[in-house]
Amino acid sequence: MKESVERRIVVANELGLHARPAALFVQKAAGFKAKITLTKDEMAADAKSLLDVMALGADCGSVVLIKAAGPDARDAVRELAEMLEARYE
Amino acid sequence: MNIVDILDRRAVKASLSAKAKPEVLRELLDALVASGGVEGEPSEVLEGLLAREELGSTGIGYGVAIPHCKSESVSRLVAACGRSAEGVAFDALDGKPAHIFFMLVGPKGSAGAHLKALARMSRLLKDASFRGVLAEADTDEALYAAIQSADAAA
Repeated sequence: MKESVERRIVVANELGLHARPAALFVQKAAGFKAKITLTKDEMAADAKSLLDVMALGADCGSVVLIKAAGPDARDAVRELAEMLEARYE
Repeated sequence: MNIVDILDRRAVKASLSAKAKPEVLRELLDALVASGGVEGEPSEVLEGLLAREELGSTGIGYGVAIPHCKSESVSRLVAACGRSAEGVAFDALDGKPAHIFFMLVGPKGSAGAHLKALARMSRLLKDASFRGVLAEADTDEALYAAIQSADAAA
């Protein structure tokens, strides 16, 4: 069943979404069937593209919107949101 | 921030001769030193770059690598850019060799500026036609000019 889910979260990573956490995020996003976007201010990124995600420059405390559409959209948003809200490197 | 703010012309090398990852890092670091970007010990910077590669390769795919580290040997954020026509194996995420290298070295505690520079580089690099222009830029001047013009337009 197709569904579109979105959630606004605050980036908790102390150093922001720099190369390493961005790579881990993209790797996780790639595991879902849903089409997933990550948006900060006016810029939207394909959550499965590392360059797109790094281009956001999402620093600690910035608000981002995760949006997913597709069969596992709900799981995708929940797990990716959890990842960004936790402190991981 | 613009890339040209942190990238000196002398830190741009369009014809890297290195054939392996450590050599690429050394060659780029030499260019950075030659451009006056490193006040302290280059070997300390190299250690930092290698340690960062151990955490996870900075070969992000699309033929691009973004080696970076924080170091006590620099007093401000500095960058170097290199191009290898043949390509160098970099343990990239997509398994392909890297042809374009953007190196970033920042002072300890410069996480904010570091992230901004990374975001700026990524923003330019996500454009496939820009990557194509870089791949074709076979002189230092052409490579610098390509970056400068994309930086001004974006």
